Amino acid sequence: MKKLLLSIIIIALAIIGAGCAEKTSEGKESTTVKLGVSGTDTRIWDFVAKKAEIEGINIEIVSFSDYVAPNTALAEGEIDVNAFQTVAYFDVFIKEHKLDLVPIATTVLAPMGIYSEKYKDVKDIPDGAKIALPNDASNQGRALLLLQEAGLIELPKDFDPNGDLTQIKKNPKNIEFVPVVPAQTPRALPDVAASVINNGIAGDAGLSPLEDAIFAESETATPYLNIIAVQAKDKDNKTYKRIAELYQSEDTAEFIEKEYKGNMIPTFVPLSNIGW
Amino acid sequence: MLVNSEQIISALIETIQMVTFSLLFSTILGLPLGILLVVTRKGHLLQNLPVFNVLNGIINIFRSVPFIILLVAMIPVTRLIVGTSIGTAAAVVPLVFYAGPYIARLIENSLLEVDPGVIEAAEAMGATPWQIISKFLIPEALSSLVLALTIATIGLVGASAMAGAVGGGGIGDLAITYGYQRFDTVTMMITVGILIVIVQGLQSFGNIAAKKIRRR
Repeated sequence: MKKLLLSIIIIALAIIGAGCAEKTSEGKESTTVKLGVSGTDTRIWDFVAKKAEIEGINIEIVSFSDYVAPNTALAEGEIDVNAFQTVAYFDVFIKEHKLDLVPIATTVLAPMGIYSEKYKDVKDIPDGAKIALPNDASNQGRALLLLQEAGLIELPKDFDPNGDLTQIKKNPKNIEFVPVVPAQTPRALPDVAASVINNGIAGDAGLSPLEDAIFAESETATPYLNIIAVQAKDKDNKTYKRIAELYQSEDTAEFIEKEYKGNMIPTFVPLSNIGW
Repeated sequence: MLVNSEQIISALIETIQMVTFSLLFSTILGLPLGILLVVTRKGHLLQNLPVFNVLNGIINIFRSVPFIILLVAMIPVTRLIVGTSIGTAAAVVPLVFYAGPYIARLIENSLLEVDPGVIEAAEAMGATPWQIISKFLIPEALSSLVLALTIATIGLVGASAMAGAVGGGGIGDLAITYGYQRFDTVTMMITVGILIVIVQGLQSFGNIAAKKIRRR
């Protein structure tokens, strides 16, 4: 009886073991990596997963509906990798929640843009014009940095990315800034000279950063680059690094450009550029 | 604290402007509606069921729409009236459409509480419907109407916090954008403190006024 029980346990263990390291047709070992994303748009990762599968890396995409769970799940080891957030958000999040996570690669930029129904160029915006911008802390800071890049305002060197309008140092055109809820920025377009609109909201409102924006973020907007993150102990994990390499390859960049028509910009820069 | 006293004062002025103007216009809209809701109902002075049912339905529709959605839906109307959809003046229009139907309901309630005997007596004296409304119904309910408008005013103070969505500013917006979003506890305490003082003041004023009217 004891022998029977033992052999059952051994067989069971063997089956479980085989499940963990299945052989692929090429005879290489395959590993499964659980990747957390936010939302349901997994087009880029589906593309990367296809490439990874050939090398025996099976990427299982786990969709979350918020921006908190993908990080906490990663910290608890329920997923292995996540890719859904900007480095600015990530930095604040791991500090506030005291999580031991690190970025291993940059992915894309969802550019915020300045849009206008009246002017074709930022330079044409007249003195004393009104510009609508998001009223929430993180988007407003991002909008101010963009307005500075567009040459409309000047910010102090120690600008706080969660900063508000009082931080504007120079406003040569005396522009009146009107903070409104982010979803209101496209709707205010007929009433203002220009609106600063988030990428997602612009898309929802039928605007394209590439075609409609009169000025948009480029890869110099380093705090807002998206990243792939892992637990600190997995920093040098070869499989995860390989996934990052597959993401940061030319054919992936081409796919992103084609699929999103320039509304997502592939930005593959060294981690030192984003302060890591 | 991330805001200075100047910002708080200008926000306070914006709140006062928004509440005053939207109270004025929503009362102009809500008072006749409330009276019509009472007198056109079954068995009342000017019974007219089609008018009653249509008004009743429209008021319910406006009262069902969440304020932020009403605010967006009203944009074309706002542009027509104010010329822009953003700013303090532009916030007044959706506030009126939010508070008007609410005031109509409150006024309806106050008027329904008037003793039917009073109306019967007035009818027996040969008063016209207009005379009954202006000389009996409203004076009888006046104290309760004042309390109803007090409730509406305080409701508007609360709703005006949402005006920040269209750049209307105000104390409530300061509480949200600095106290809530930027974790500025001091600003949150000050702004909420100011709101408490405003609400307490309005309620006390309403209570005293209602009491004075009742004593007459």
